[in-house]
Amino acid sequence: MSFSSGFLTALVYLALIWCAGSSIALLALLWAEWKEGRLW
Amino acid sequence: MPDEQAVLNPTTGWILLAIFSVLWIGLGVYWGRKNKSFEDHALAGRNVGLALASATAAATWITSNTTMLAPQFALQLGIWGMLAYSTASFGLFLFAPIAKRIRKLMPNGYTSGDFMRLRYGRVAWGIFLVFTLFYSLTWLVSMAMAGGIVLNALAGIPYVYGMSVILAVCVLYTMRGGLYAVIGTDFIQSVIIIVGIVIAGFAVLSKVSMAEIHTNLTANSPALLDVLFPAALIAIFNNLLFGLGEVFHNNVWWSRAFAFREGVGQRAFIIAGLVWFPIPIAAGFVALASGALGVAVPSADMVGPLVIANVLGSVGAIAIFIVVFCSLASSIDSLLAATSDLITEDIYRRIARPTAKPAELKNAAQMITLALGIGAWAVCLPRIGTLASVLFFAGPLVASMIWPIVTGLYWKRASRLGAISAMVLGSGIGLWSYFSIGWYVASLIAAMVSMVCVLLFAAFKPEEFQWQELQEGDQ
Repeated sequence: MSFSSGFLTALVYLALIWCAGSSIALLALLWAEWKEGRLW
Repeated sequence: MPDEQAVLNPTTGWILLAIFSVLWIGLGVYWGRKNKSFEDHALAGRNVGLALASATAAATWITSNTTMLAPQFALQLGIWGMLAYSTASFGLFLFAPIAKRIRKLMPNGYTSGDFMRLRYGRVAWGIFLVFTLFYSLTWLVSMAMAGGIVLNALAGIPYVYGMSVILAVCVLYTMRGGLYAVIGTDFIQSVIIIVGIVIAGFAVLSKVSMAEIHTNLTANSPALLDVLFPAALIAIFNNLLFGLGEVFHNNVWWSRAFAFREGVGQRAFIIAGLVWFPIPIAAGFVALASGALGVAVPSADMVGPLVIANVLGSVGAIAIFIVVFCSLASSIDSLLAATSDLITEDIYRRIARPTAKPAELKNAAQMITLALGIGAWAVCLPRIGTLASVLFFAGPLVASMIWPIVTGLYWKRASRLGAISAMVLGSGIGLWSYFSIGWYVASLIAAMVSMVCVLLFAAFKPEEFQWQELQEGDQ
């Protein structure tokens, strides 16, 4: 039994979008804490 | 890996190396101004916020292995290979509640060694120090060596020069800036790595569709799509266990638990796990495209850079060089800082100079970082190819420490004899099985033996540990 093309496509696109989203989330979090002077 | 495979010319490689070296050292000097005592230097004032905390935990776990080996895993083990690599993020998820517990039980703690000494006494502490220092130093050497090899493979920079520069840069900014510099640069490095991986991934998808990749794999490498690929399924288990053992015991992670602001640790490690989980898939799938793109892959460990350079040309080669350099730096700096803190706190302060003042400890930590860098450089110089395999050898040692640490944090009955026998017998029988059966069972057997020892002693010779004994006053 093999993984289908649809599964592979969904897996890869999900991973790439997830990565893009996580980098944006980290930057947003940094911005929010920096504004409040709570980075460290 | 011969220089002919380099995807970037050496001059561009040297320019990139110079730019990032100046940037990291400059930031190290800038952030180092905040360091007044050993506590500042080792733990960034114990007040790191959620954004920097999440990024540093994720970045430290993104090594050059993640960016270079994930494509190799995909090429050799297929879809399960990528997923197997992603399970290493479970170490971060499971450490999240532990980080919270550590901060609560030991508000003045410095290292994982402090916990072992206070919880299980000096014998267990000694065994732990031997194991963890062996593992950390091996990891440090293998990372520095990987740095030289990878820079040589990517840009044709001679091994000794590449290895020396990356080690020297990390030593300089870690010495000067301590954990502030490590955490600050980790944030920048993690964003660069993730953005680089996303750009490279979409660039590959703009040249070849996933349907074409799937068709090519079905025709030429059907095993890579197999739902029941035995070797890949074993890899999942091994990666998971190794990830748990490494994160649970190593001072790299404990020092972060102590450094993060109260209430931040648990959330930071969960976010870090979420950030890390998709990276091996996003970085690894490009290897599956090599066949559909017609990229020749003379050595599996270069498949990622070769595919990306083929798709993006010199821009892609520059991107992969920067991503790999950031991955190396984010792990080497953390290892240098955490290992020097462990030696400073557990050996220099607790054994050699119990009366040392905070400023003296900070100077000692800086000198120990320098000594670690010089030592690692000397070991890396001859480029002994088999040295990286020593890291696998450390698997049983690491796995034998999982149970003493977890039960020691949550269970009053967990005893000294249980912890000592768990580490000695677990690692001993684990190493025996490593040589007599195979690498793939060594960590599992070590963890199992260790578990039996801890449970037996807790059942038949329990302790009634008082948690306040962990709250050692700051000196």
